Amino acid sequence: MATKVLPAREPRSIGRSLLMTLPIALWSFLMFHGWYSRPNRSQLIAGIVTCAFMVVLFFMMMRTWSTYRWRRWFFVALGLLFPVGFIHTVMVLRGTMGIPIEEMIAGRTPFCFIPIPLLILPAAFTEAIVFPGSILPNGGMSGGGMAAMVGIWLAITIVVGKGWCSYACFFGGIEEGMAAIPAKATVRKIDSRWRYGPWAVLLAMTLLSLGLFESAYCMWLCPFKAVSEYVAARNTVGMIQNGIFVLLFGALVIALPLLTKKRTQCAFFCPFGAFQSLFNKTSVFDVKIDRTRCTPCALCQKSCPTMALTEESIARGETLMSCMKCGACVDACPKDAAVWHIRGTEVAVKPERARLMFLYAAWSMAIMFGGSIIAQGLATILHVFV
Amino acid sequence: MATPFAFGEALVLGLASGPACVASCGPVLVPSLLAERTGLRLNGRYLSTFLATRLLGYLLFAAVAWELGTLVSFRTTERSWVFAVIHLLLAGVLLRYAWSVGRACNHSCASPELVTIGGAGKHRIPGAAVLGFLTGVSLCPPFVAAGVRAAEAANVAAAMLFFAVFFLGTSLWFVPFAGFGWLRRNEAVTTVARMAMVLIAFYYLYAGLMTLIRKSVYGY
Repeated sequence: MATKVLPAREPRSIGRSLLMTLPIALWSFLMFHGWYSRPNRSQLIAGIVTCAFMVVLFFMMMRTWSTYRWRRWFFVALGLLFPVGFIHTVMVLRGTMGIPIEEMIAGRTPFCFIPIPLLILPAAFTEAIVFPGSILPNGGMSGGGMAAMVGIWLAITIVVGKGWCSYACFFGGIEEGMAAIPAKATVRKIDSRWRYGPWAVLLAMTLLSLGLFESAYCMWLCPFKAVSEYVAARNTVGMIQNGIFVLLFGALVIALPLLTKKRTQCAFFCPFGAFQSLFNKTSVFDVKIDRTRCTPCALCQKSCPTMALTEESIARGETLMSCMKCGACVDACPKDAAVWHIRGTEVAVKPERARLMFLYAAWSMAIMFGGSIIAQGLATILHVFV
Repeated sequence: MATPFAFGEALVLGLASGPACVASCGPVLVPSLLAERTGLRLNGRYLSTFLATRLLGYLLFAAVAWELGTLVSFRTTERSWVFAVIHLLLAGVLLRYAWSVGRACNHSCASPELVTIGGAGKHRIPGAAVLGFLTGVSLCPPFVAAGVRAAEAANVAAAMLFFAVFFLGTSLWFVPFAGFGWLRRNEAVTTVARMAMVLIAFYYLYAGLMTLIRKSVYGY
């Protein structure tokens, strides 16, 4: 059955869009306040540009009613600029991207959220943390201390659920950018069982972390070690580890997204993504399919970057628990059947209100985490020229 | 050595080492148990088979090591060989098990049985038995701790008895795993378990090969 496309929605008025953007503009100004008073000119410019960038993107979301394409600009910028700022900081502090194993054991490493699920079992059994990071306040290069960072992550996660993976994760942007390059996917048929990959990695790595008493994922399987800090290759083991990191990065973050137009690392591999899916049950926001409007054209299914929609889930009027709330399906639906939704309310009743409430929460988080990372990366680049 | 006190010590040592045993055997036990079909009885049978053959592994190792008189001073070079071979065997069995689970899912029958590995003929062995035996003969830290104490036994029978009581203590920590039988099994759970088994098998394969290479190249 041919899909009858609804007429394109008129853009929201500029005045109304500005009014809706005002809270985000204020929040953004507050978040970047410290950047304006920095004596370094490159940092000052980076702060102003990033603040404006985040506000303009939100304004465009309001004006065009579209979420995904504007969020993608932010997310790709975050993915590309994170390694720039991070590598620069690591090089300044340590002189190398290679981290010696003794530094890891001593917890003198920056905080990363991905191994959070891997530290739960060892902590429960032995009251010890295997994650390479300090649990003490002000420990580690992050400066915040792991306990505080885990607390912030938990608070945000309870609100946005797996929205974390689309608005806060500083790794997913590279593959999202890669997936956006080709006009059409070369590989279109993907076995749906690969969706279980993240759960398998989570199970295997959690058990191995407990057995080996080290964060097995960080030591062996993290593709993003290729663009952050790798294990110092002092021996054969170190070289094998780095070889695995580069291979996984090349395959999951570069090649496969180009071939499939999907976020393959997130959809088929990331253990944190699987863990975060559990919190989609606690989040008040989700995406629903209004069955009364849906003519199963499967455009939403095709547009989903993580295969979180199946024929069965569409028939049930919902996404799978792995939905990252990126908004791709909502934007793609020609019948406005894919809608933002607040739990406990009726489906498709004021979906724009649900979208707004979610975006205020998610974009505030994006500015807080991603904004400062983008500004840091930008300042590093500008420092070369200014 | 063969006094009530020593056996009490073996039991306490086993109880105290239980979490370390669970951590050591968990990567093998949990995915394979999840890959089995649902049902408390079937999962209980899996666990019983796993633990029985694990005990067999313990006793066999204790007997051989005690007879050789090297329970404690087991030379590092020989230990490396044992480690490497066990790791490679574990990798092979886990890969075969993951494959067998797929076949078992396709050939479900009215009375579910434990997933077996091996040919379709008479010589099929429950995967739980093989995995239990291999984890039993693995030299995990609690096992070495028990070995140090059992080495002081007057004879091989006392050493084996010490190991048996120690095993009893550690086994209590495994009892909750029978509760996995209550978990609903569907394609998702089985597929995740199979994929996890393959990943863990790759780790053991790497560990075994690296030990062999290190031994061949560097001699330790």
